[in-house]
Amino acid sequence: MKATIVALLAAASLSAASYDIADILTASTAADTRAKDWKPGDGLALEVSGMDWTADGKLALSIRKGEVWVLDGVLDAKPTKVSYKLFASGLHEPLGLLRDGKDLLVTQRTETTRLRDSNGDGVADEYLTAGAGWNVSGSYHGYAYGPKRDGLGQLWVTLNVDMGDHADNKAPWRGWGGVLGQDGKFIPMAAGMRSPCGLGTNLAGDMFCVDQQGTWIPTTPIYHLRKGAFFLNPEGIASESRPESPLKLSAKIPEKRPYPEALKALPEMRPPAVWMPYNKVGRSGTDLATCDAGGKFGPFDGQMFVAEFTDAKISRVFLEKVDGEYQGACFPFVGGFASGIVRLSFAPDGSLMVGMTSRGWSSLGTKAYGLQRLRYNGAVPFAIKEMKAKPDGFELTFTKPVDVARAGDVASYRMTNYTLFYSGAYGSDEIQAAPNGIVSAKVASDGLSVRLKVDGLRELYIHELHADGIRSAGGEVLDHADAYYTLNRVPKN
Amino acid sequence: MMLRLVILLGAAALGAEPLVTGFERFHASAPTAEGGRLLYNELGCVNCHGGETGLPAMRGPALATVTQRVRSEWLRKFVADPASVHPGAVMPQVLAKADDKTLVAIEHYLASLKPKAASKAAAKIMHVNGARGGELFNTLGCVACHAPGKDFIPAEGVPKASESTHRSVGFADLKAKYSLDSLGAFILDPLKVRADGRMPKTVMDRQDSIDIAGYLLEFQGSDGRIDQPVVSIVADKNLSIAGRKAVIAAQCAACHDLPKDAAAKPVALNKNEGGCLDADHVSGPRYALSDAQRASLKLFLAKKDESASPKLAADLTLHALNCVACHERDGKGGPDAARKPYFQGDHNLGDTGRYPPPLTGIGGKLRPEWLAKVLAPRVEAKPAELFTSHNKADETRVRPYLKTKMPQYGASVADLAKLLGVADARPALKFAGGDDTAGRKLLGTQGGAGCITCHRWGDRPSLGVQGPDLSNIAARLQESWLREYLINPAGYRPGTLMPSFWPGGKSFNQEILGGDTDKQIAAIYKFAESANGDPEGFPQNRNGEFEVVPKDRPVVQRAFTEGVGVRAILVGFPSGVHLAYDGDKGGPGLAWKGRFFDAYLTWFSRFPTFEKPIGTEVVAWPKPTGRFLGYRLDAKGNPTFLNEQGGVKVEETYEGIENGLRRTVIWAPTPDFTPTITHPAGMIVDVKESSAQGRRVFTYLWK
Repeated sequence: MKATIVALLAAASLSAASYDIADILTASTAADTRAKDWKPGDGLALEVSGMDWTADGKLALSIRKGEVWVLDGVLDAKPTKVSYKLFASGLHEPLGLLRDGKDLLVTQRTETTRLRDSNGDGVADEYLTAGAGWNVSGSYHGYAYGPKRDGLGQLWVTLNVDMGDHADNKAPWRGWGGVLGQDGKFIPMAAGMRSPCGLGTNLAGDMFCVDQQGTWIPTTPIYHLRKGAFFLNPEGIASESRPESPLKLSAKIPEKRPYPEALKALPEMRPPAVWMPYNKVGRSGTDLATCDAGGKFGPFDGQMFVAEFTDAKISRVFLEKVDGEYQGACFPFVGGFASGIVRLSFAPDGSLMVGMTSRGWSSLGTKAYGLQRLRYNGAVPFAIKEMKAKPDGFELTFTKPVDVARAGDVASYRMTNYTLFYSGAYGSDEIQAAPNGIVSAKVASDGLSVRLKVDGLRELYIHELHADGIRSAGGEVLDHADAYYTLNRVPKN
Repeated sequence: MMLRLVILLGAAALGAEPLVTGFERFHASAPTAEGGRLLYNELGCVNCHGGETGLPAMRGPALATVTQRVRSEWLRKFVADPASVHPGAVMPQVLAKADDKTLVAIEHYLASLKPKAASKAAAKIMHVNGARGGELFNTLGCVACHAPGKDFIPAEGVPKASESTHRSVGFADLKAKYSLDSLGAFILDPLKVRADGRMPKTVMDRQDSIDIAGYLLEFQGSDGRIDQPVVSIVADKNLSIAGRKAVIAAQCAACHDLPKDAAAKPVALNKNEGGCLDADHVSGPRYALSDAQRASLKLFLAKKDESASPKLAADLTLHALNCVACHERDGKGGPDAARKPYFQGDHNLGDTGRYPPPLTGIGGKLRPEWLAKVLAPRVEAKPAELFTSHNKADETRVRPYLKTKMPQYGASVADLAKLLGVADARPALKFAGGDDTAGRKLLGTQGGAGCITCHRWGDRPSLGVQGPDLSNIAARLQESWLREYLINPAGYRPGTLMPSFWPGGKSFNQEILGGDTDKQIAAIYKFAESANGDPEGFPQNRNGEFEVVPKDRPVVQRAFTEGVGVRAILVGFPSGVHLAYDGDKGGPGLAWKGRFFDAYLTWFSRFPTFEKPIGTEVVAWPKPTGRFLGYRLDAKGNPTFLNEQGGVKVEETYEGIENGLRRTVIWAPTPDFTPTITHPAGMIVDVKESSAQGRRVFTYLWK
């Protein structure tokens, strides 16, 4: 079927002027692998589940069927002559891939495996257990993600909670994240996750993880993974009673109350660094990748890009540390991808590779799977680059100088704040919404930042900004005028 | 958002009369009594004026639930003037003179009909994917009657509007009429609302119907929970009573099912001027009839009391239900040039791979029981079942390659199978005897006609293109039709890929059954009837859709596996003996002979469950007790598993051999250590201890 249909949201949220999407390989239909006539060998179902770069700049990727492929040519200007080489097969739904020297590490459902090509023929011949120690019950949802390496060199793995037949969340470490010890044994570090599908560090080497809206998770959160932290989902908390647990909750799960109250009632609970409000910034976060492209991916070095499944789009996150804890803002970025995005990986040349598979869940992407490349074309987008918390408001920085008269006018901004309801229900409405008054807006002399004095700041609430009135000095409208700051703490200075 | 629907293809050219597609397409150019008969039934004339058309009753939609399905404002507008909000509506204007007060009263009356038992609240719509809905809407068969979406570009390009021979069934202003939920519910089962089958039911999942509704409503975004639901007004008692009076006066119950206290009275046909048929209409329901419609009705009324022949009744039923939108019959109908590009399927099968089969002589082609089964409500395969079997869940779907799906027509087709049987009756032929052994050979590729090269046989895919299943021909086809068809396939379906193996009645093969055409065809029929195995020539390893068949090298695949656990590593050997290794405790788990396993669940399902060997003679080892460290693959692909037992590293390599496995265990010899090596019951174990220390070789053979 070659018939195509216009991607519904493509036009709506694509920074088309600054970023180009190139297809490497996408399914020809919405249900390619599920077509009843499909047979093994009919073509490569590129359901991308992990990506990293080989030492010589090729793209190694895992697919859900259980294979690892090495692709050459994906960074060509027109990637029409990409070669595919099968590196490993027979794996059990690997959902993460990381290069380690000449080897590749993949996390399958039951273990992290070192794939080694010992004779140099370009095909793995050793499949060595490199990490294990979590229970696998056989439930369909017992996924394992990672590994990703943090700044200390530790390899992190996260584990989904079980769902469906065979589900057993009392068994060790479902809903937990941890690191792999020298002997490969899983060492639990943090608990309270549901579908912690995407791991990644920031430039400082701290490990973060994106979870997904669902039971106990009111909207997609980004956690800073640390030893002893409990985040949101108590379904796998039974493992805290094991001797290896770094955590013991000191109070009952404070359910059915607004999140700020819940947090105060449970000392071990750590707030997400960023909440990504449902629908406004996607629905099911799946991966994160920090940009370190030296400007080759536009003016967003150091920021985090977050993949999203349901709406097939990517958002952008700015983080800062306040009182030693991360918090920050998220911004819509680019949409219109072919399928549910599951993996992101920055290429050596600063392109962002976008790996997708919609199998099992619904996505606005119209294809079953695929690999696309997002490349900056050098046209600087006009965007809110950063949103920083201040004791009495926020500071916005922009990618280009602003129209001073408009940026200095408080009427160019609207802000509200709200929180979420913490319970075992699936997702949450925004609750306790209240407007924030914009008291003043002071434009810096270089026109690149604005200091907003804001009334009614509330700690632990999400502050939603709409800067619809802003124009660049050249008269451009903002690429996206909305931003969402998770104000866990108001800085003292 | 760029979704736009062409509401009426070529409407301007064809006027604004009520649309009865079958009339417009086949009877409008030259008025006839037959066309008039169709209209007399389809415009509901018969519902007031009586008579016997021989056609399935045309009824209006269910009204007891209408206020829960349709938005209030739209409903009032429609009731006041149907064609103004629904172009081509067949409902006449019966309330032209009603004021707003009356319209409100009618709505209250309709709301009062609401079934008392609170219907179970539909599950919230979590997700809508309009793009996916568009793909479904434009390929599933909806556009056989409705206009395709403008944004949908078929592979062959968008046809010209001028290629359309008739109007499409238009949409009322859907956004004003429905919510996502109520339109989705209607699409999911239209027969609940329109039991007369004029909008048939295409079997689909709820998500499919919601996605299609999302497409038609141009729903923005993907979160269905933001949709504005339809909320019925609360019926006021006095207004309801007034409404009921208006409903009685308008004779609504003639076409709609209403309580007895709102019954309509029969209306005698009178020949006075100014009635429904008159262009200068003064009283009664107002139809915006075209001249051709009016003339046809007059011709019919002149001989209204003549009953329809079975052939006429059958043909007109197919026109009334618009079966001919997809199927050709007697050289007429089938998709017209403007709709053909939306019929998709398997291009390997040519036109027969994309267009539904002709209905010419269908009552003489299919066995009556089969035809009845095709028309009867049926269960369709669950998506998961589609992968394992093509026909078990819905055996009547013999052409799974067609993207369009045959919908269901409910009670309206209750008599159709019988009617077609009479209309298309052929001289009976009963094959005498039939040699099923010869039939098996004829169907196969070992000296036969090689039918299975292109045709499926039950759940076995053919060797090449996937033509219709032949395993059910005895249940499906009448003998005389089959004989005639096999002698000249193109006579029945021009352009078919099916060659003749008995051209002019002379067999291609003079060896089998002495080359006797009748005996050969009877033999094929008999073999299918006997259900006694498969034709010759299918590969020994069944080529299941996702069956993993080790050919040149061993195949290694991890999977949850019954009897071994979640960390099983399956190894299939080309020799036809396979192993499931325990990747937790490090030791062999199961071995079996024959076919390896079907990887569908592990590879491509959202809900993988435990795999099991599909071979025979499964043997098991006792549970191992070591620790698994990984495996290596040698140049031939044979695995060496790396384990640890009591601190000592133990490696073992497996190779497939004829009727068994060879297992070589190696460890670094140390004093006080002998590895634990167990063997499965049910196999012959031949131990060859190598002279070298720290090495044992075992050969396992089936007894």
